[in-house]
Amino acid sequence: MSADFETVSDDDLHAYVDGHLAQPERERIESWLEKQPAKAEEVRQWQAQATALKQHFASYARSGEEDRSLISARRKSRSTGWASAVPTLRRLAAGLLIFAAGALAGAYGPDLVAPPPESADASEALPRQAQSAFLIYASEVRHPVEVGASEREHLATWLGKRLDYGLKIPDLSSLGFSLVGGRLVPVNDTAGAMLMYEDVTGERLTVLLGRNPENRETSFRISSRGEVETFYWIDGEIGYAVTGEVPRALLQKVADECYRQFEASESS
Amino acid sequence: MPHGRDGLNKRAGEEISSADPFEEDVLALIPALRRYSRSLARSDTDGEDLLQDCVEKVLTRRAQWRGVNLRAWVFTIMTNLYRNGRRRRAQHPEVELDETLGLRAEENNADPLERQRLLRALERLSADNRAVLMLVVIEGYRYQDVADMMEIPVGTVMSRLSRARRQLAEAMKDDNVIALRRPK
Repeated sequence: MSADFETVSDDDLHAYVDGHLAQPERERIESWLEKQPAKAEEVRQWQAQATALKQHFASYARSGEEDRSLISARRKSRSTGWASAVPTLRRLAAGLLIFAAGALAGAYGPDLVAPPPESADASEALPRQAQSAFLIYASEVRHPVEVGASEREHLATWLGKRLDYGLKIPDLSSLGFSLVGGRLVPVNDTAGAMLMYEDVTGERLTVLLGRNPENRETSFRISSRGEVETFYWIDGEIGYAVTGEVPRALLQKVADECYRQFEASESS
Repeated sequence: MPHGRDGLNKRAGEEISSADPFEEDVLALIPALRRYSRSLARSDTDGEDLLQDCVEKVLTRRAQWRGVNLRAWVFTIMTNLYRNGRRRRAQHPEVELDETLGLRAEENNADPLERQRLLRALERLSADNRAVLMLVVIEGYRYQDVADMMEIPVGTVMSRLSRARRQLAEAMKDDNVIALRRPK
């Protein structure tokens, strides 16, 4: 490469990422990038951003049932009184048109702005069950758990047996939470386990484990109900949900720690 | 009452039965407009509001359209509505609405937490930088087109695009919820 090939500006890099360049120009930039690892990394990030943005927003580019009414509603308010002036047949025709547009939109895609339909998907049921368990048991003063922390070994064996899973109870002392105990709870219609922790101020967290019939994996997700938040994930046969009414960053650390310890006990 | 407004009303009244070509053209743009409005807005609801405001404005201002490139004209109107809205919001900040986006429909199989991260990172961009990024990346406009639409020099488009991309990369790095993902 000669020296005059060495001039690639930021503008060139953007044009490269956005696909505005012809082939020879692309090749020139690609060979330049091979010698510029830092720039190459930045370009890679920009490309990843573009892909993610396109992927995320692409699904919004569709028509909805209400599109035509967006326009006709405007028209009605602009020319007041037209409805009475226009023969009934015409109004009927307009109505049919709206109906047809709606039917078309309905056939080609679910309404975009409507919330996703309630699904029986176990991964969505999990956070709700975890939040219910938290709301019911964490507020319990005298009997929040069936087996207390003093019987930690027994608790692990007992719940592990009912869950048919080698349960290791996570140690969250590094985050200031100590075990209160645990109990057997129904999760997805079978036996699940709830572990409860609290910090020195009495702030409580729960960790729910349930069998997951679908046997698949997800990454971390978050779900809120009022102030109560849940980090949850599914790892093969077991779904996990960490629930509390603490700052999200803290809850996330707890989820991270739980995941780490469960993963370690699984592979051991 | 100015003459033009009167004429507009009459025209709309006359054309009510047959499809009005202008309205049909606007209708055809709505899917792309919906995508653009959502890419600018904080939530689905805000996106739909912005879309409605835009359609309303386009129809009221139709007499001002010069008859070339309806799409660019409509996108410019939306861009300006969005920028004004952001300015208003900056003066009267609302409580941040947490949508728990992770639970939204998994229509494109993207990891929900990744998307949440992306959307949060977008919230940190300025209105101008975000609009440029979306016009280029999602709507596929050329830099010169964006410059014309926003009435700024193309150099400004480039610096906004650059800033948007770097800030987004930075924000995604900071907000690393995914740091705890399994390394499989």
